[in-house]
Amino acid sequence: MPRCDHCLIEFPEREAVHDEVKGEEKVFCCHGCQGVYRLINDEGLDDFYKRRKDWVPGPAAKVAIDSAAFSGSLRPAGDDIEVDIILDGIRCASCVWLNERVLQKTGGVTFAQVNYATHRARIRWDPRKTGLDAVLHRITSIGYTPKPFVAGAFEEEQKKASRDLLIRFGTASFFSMQQMIYSAALYAGYFQGIEAGLKDLFHWISLALTTPVLFYAGWPFLKGALRGIRHFTFNMDVLIIAGAGSAYVYSIYQMFAGGEVYFDTSAMIITLILLGRFIEAGAKRKASEALTRLLSLAPREARKVVAGITGEAGYHDAERVMTLVSAMRPGDLIEVLPGEKVPLDGIVRHGASEADESMLTGESHPVSKTAGAEVFGGTVNLYGAFIYEVTRIGNETVLARIIKAVEDAQARRAPVQAFADKVVGIFVPLVLLISFCTATYWWLTGAGASVAVMNAVSVLVIACPCALGLATPLAILIGTSYGASKGVLIKGGDVIERARKIDLVVFDKTGTITLGKPALVHYRGIGMTDSKALALAASLERYSEHSLGKAIVDAVRGIDLEEAAGFSAVPGKGIQGTIDGKQLVVGNREFALPATTGSDMDDELTRDALNRETAGATVVYLSCNGKLAGIFAVSDVPRSEAREAMEMLARDGLDAVMITGDAQATADAIAHAVGIGQVKAKRTPLEKAADLKAFRDAGRSCAMVGDGINDAPALVEAEVGIAMGRATDIALESADMVLMRSDLRLVSLAVRLAKRTYNVIKQNLFWAFFYNVVTIPLAVMGILHPIVAAAAMALSSLSVVGNSLRAKVRQ
Amino acid sequence: MSSLVSLILLSLCLGFAAWFLFLWAAKSGQFDDAERPKYRMLDDDDEESDKKDDQKRKT
Repeated sequence: MPRCDHCLIEFPEREAVHDEVKGEEKVFCCHGCQGVYRLINDEGLDDFYKRRKDWVPGPAAKVAIDSAAFSGSLRPAGDDIEVDIILDGIRCASCVWLNERVLQKTGGVTFAQVNYATHRARIRWDPRKTGLDAVLHRITSIGYTPKPFVAGAFEEEQKKASRDLLIRFGTASFFSMQQMIYSAALYAGYFQGIEAGLKDLFHWISLALTTPVLFYAGWPFLKGALRGIRHFTFNMDVLIIAGAGSAYVYSIYQMFAGGEVYFDTSAMIITLILLGRFIEAGAKRKASEALTRLLSLAPREARKVVAGITGEAGYHDAERVMTLVSAMRPGDLIEVLPGEKVPLDGIVRHGASEADESMLTGESHPVSKTAGAEVFGGTVNLYGAFIYEVTRIGNETVLARIIKAVEDAQARRAPVQAFADKVVGIFVPLVLLISFCTATYWWLTGAGASVAVMNAVSVLVIACPCALGLATPLAILIGTSYGASKGVLIKGGDVIERARKIDLVVFDKTGTITLGKPALVHYRGIGMTDSKALALAASLERYSEHSLGKAIVDAVRGIDLEEAAGFSAVPGKGIQGTIDGKQLVVGNREFALPATTGSDMDDELTRDALNRETAGATVVYLSCNGKLAGIFAVSDVPRSEAREAMEMLARDGLDAVMITGDAQATADAIAHAVGIGQVKAKRTPLEKAADLKAFRDAGRSCAMVGDGINDAPALVEAEVGIAMGRATDIALESADMVLMRSDLRLVSLAVRLAKRTYNVIKQNLFWAFFYNVVTIPLAVMGILHPIVAAAAMALSSLSVVGNSLRAKVRQ
Repeated sequence: MSSLVSLILLSLCLGFAAWFLFLWAAKSGQFDDAERPKYRMLDDDDEESDKKDDQKRKT
């Protein structure tokens, strides 16, 4: 995870902005920070960066944008045209500022506003003066990536629901606060005496202020309670309405009987529970917003090659049309440029490249694609353009079948019964029973029907804990926001309930335990020093886009490379060039050492190379003037913290298993390096999910940590799916938790956090009920003081809030 | 007594005024983006474009 040189924030690698300032390579989280860094440097103030050693941090690459994808979301706004887009790459307020200013200063743009929370921009322009392309180009020119945004019905629904909740909670608060004024006066009157007329007036005002709280703000609970009673289930809503409703009815009775009223209890129960819902919704929205930003859109359009002429020249000259992926048919030809995602499954007809299929298969090495090879939708074309013929579309592609499996599993997963609901399910019948017994007792002792009923109702009044609604949301809020500050995104409260039981953690290999990209692990010069061989290979490879070549170049940072001439690359084989008059070739064995010079390899070297290849490495050869000059082993290496993370899990008493689509030998080597005992290799995505199911059937509670499309079914099948921050969209969607930083140690933190938060929820529920339960005997005896009801209400709320603050993990 | 009643009426009026203000704010989307406004004071620019901004926001 790189750290921004200006604001010191850590951020995902893929958003990095690289720059060179005064000959030093710098990395930034956004173009805003890059601009400020340059400004400070140009002003000669760079001492700032040296002085702030102990300072703790507080908050895209240029790509071709295809405006056709946005055309669907354009809409007229008066004479202007309006569009909503998502701006990728926004990290802090200065990004928002930059985008707004730049757009507002663009000729023809009449309105531009960026929502900081959602990263969504609304732009309006005059079609006579400018166009969509110009606007999008403007955004890309300052380094942000616009993406089309289509407001879904679901999103609208959610927005409406959250506004409804806000209004209900706000209304309840205002009325409860007003009502409290009169309750305070009545409390004082209870002790000091109060004029009867004034007391009556206050009663009437209290009634008038409580009624909208109960019947408008409390309407969702009322509906829920009615539904619950009809099905004869005692849910949370029944308890809330039993408490608030009985306090309300009891108070109206007492108003006329001349006793004390409990309107404040009724209003506060509703208000505090709405506050709990509000907090919960906020925590959930934050998590889902952060997630929406991580998700990038799958390719919706493909570059269709309009066939007609065949043969080499035909492919070259044929017209390319951007077409919706959904409109493609088998037999159509699609061109895929380097760095693009393959839209659908098919067979390569022309061109050659290598594809990264690790997200689909778990295979960590790029797969060579030449004419006749099969390509799969969702994989990434690494370098070299190719044209392929579509064979499968829609629901038949490998990707679609995996997504289908994920959806099926998600539908199958039973909703978790919330712990609080379980407690309420026992508590409500119990209170009703006590209340019933109270009425019977008073009736039998001959106290009269009205006394019996009133004492029974007062049991209900005192038993309903106001803090109940806060107990779970507060703990979850504090737990999840602590998690978020540490880089763990938790998708909801139910995840915490499931995560606390985890005793087995299953890891994917490629991209999860390993870095997911090759790194140089061994090099050796033959007939020259090791470092000389490395420098020569890197001098050639720096002109290559190939991932193996990049690994070699990455290994020599800081060494001056030499100029190569006559450079040429042969896809799938290697590259060649001339340095200092020496003919150099870097590539696989056949390419670098044609048969005639193969004898340069002695037995020991051959054995060494073979051993490394079995362990999952790719061996690259360097030849100089046709003679073997160096050997390089490149492989996917474990993350530096992987071993420590496994030790942390072992300390917490959790078992670890590695599961991968890669070969057994490769998997064993990695597992051995990080200290994982159990390995399952050569697994397809669906087999991975089946393995997870087998673990669960064996009585284990497992978490699955993964990042690829191939992990998605397993992520859903697991008790808790954990996706790495740089994971693919489908993995992010399938997961219950997301690690914002690619740091495996966070897995241990996440599990401990869940356990601790769950304990705090349990304690909170205890405290929420405790004071109310111990005062029930008073109500049973018919001596319910309003001051007791108020104290029980206040003490249980205070205990819950105080206890929730402990929902953090001690490091 | 009558002074008490008028004070009660006054406090109720104030309470309701605040409530209506809240309803208006919630319905007109004032609470939709709670993150951005706290940074707006940091945006300084020439006055002219600020005025233009205001006009743009109103439209």
